[in-house]
Amino acid sequence: MTPELSTHLSEEAMDDVLIGLASPESDAHLAACSLCRSQLQEFRSAMQVFNQTSLAWSEDRSKAFHHSSAKPKIRPAIFVPLSWAMVAAVLLAIGFPMWNHHYLSRNYAPGPASTPENSEAQIAQDNELLQSVNLALNESDVPQINMYDLSDGPHPQLKVRPELRNR
Amino acid sequence: MGEYAISSFRLGAIPGEVIESCLMERVRPIHELDDIDALVRIYQARLLRFVACSTGDVDLAETIVQDTLLRAYNCRESFRGECSVNTWLTGIAINVLRDHQRTERYKFWKKVKTTAIDVHEMASFIPAEGSSPEVQLLAKEKVKRLAQVLGTLSPRQRTIFLMKFSEEMPVIDISEVLGIPATTVRTHLHRALKAVRSQLGAKI
Repeated sequence: MTPELSTHLSEEAMDDVLIGLASPESDAHLAACSLCRSQLQEFRSAMQVFNQTSLAWSEDRSKAFHHSSAKPKIRPAIFVPLSWAMVAAVLLAIGFPMWNHHYLSRNYAPGPASTPENSEAQIAQDNELLQSVNLALNESDVPQINMYDLSDGPHPQLKVRPELRNR
Repeated sequence: MGEYAISSFRLGAIPGEVIESCLMERVRPIHELDDIDALVRIYQARLLRFVACSTGDVDLAETIVQDTLLRAYNCRESFRGECSVNTWLTGIAINVLRDHQRTERYKFWKKVKTTAIDVHEMASFIPAEGSSPEVQLLAKEKVKRLAQVLGTLSPRQRTIFLMKFSEEMPVIDISEVLGIPATTVRTHLHRALKAVRSQLGAKI
């Protein structure tokens, strides 16, 4: 703080003056110090401009608001249960079909727990079927190339014609 | 408020102590509170300014002001003239706002649509009383800056600051309306002024 400023009012003392709690010492200082007075005046004029402007703005808003609703509307007491009943009816109209659809689809569609394919007998039957399929596949798993007798020895399943054998 | 109305009594039909108590007590200003049109016309703009600047939400402020005026009209018998009508209405507005914040009745709508105060729009209402365009421009900037700085204060600090410097209520009235000690009000005012000064510069 510069030596000149140390003789002026502190911020706290200035705030006290603004709040309306000025001490006699502050009042005496303000009577003599034009710089502190001008600082206070700066704040007060800023607030004054703000208050005038904001009041003009709110008056304008109030006029518009006043035209739209001249008086605070007193809602008759009957409107409250009626509005709640209307809300309940709308909720019912939307919610019941959704619940109904969900309930029906859950009850009539075959659920995974109730299907017989998960029972032990069914599993055993499936296993048998799979084994038989596997066996059939293994039996027919003869390489197709053997059908043409391209190996060195005679193929046991093929009959060789005698004229070809004597040639 | 200087004007107070006293109901017309038929003195002979009323016991003496009743007359005395009625005459001793300051009777409410009947002309304003019994006419809701006058109540709206005189106080709506001031209330709207206070609540809008305090909450920062114009639509919410209009709802609060409407509820406040309705509640004041319905409870006008309870006004005893111990403070100004404006202070009484400000107290009701604070209570309505507190009720609203407690119940959060409009929470959903607040999320959907919050209509914040347009600082530029507000600053355009600056009074042009023979001042030069440069002065008006400076004043407009000052209003905008001050409105923005007020927006950075905590809700409690902002409310107390506006009650003191916009509504020009004494500290003791603020403490009574808010139900907090006067020392707490002063502390809030000191902090608010410090914040305003630090953000607006050393000039204020």
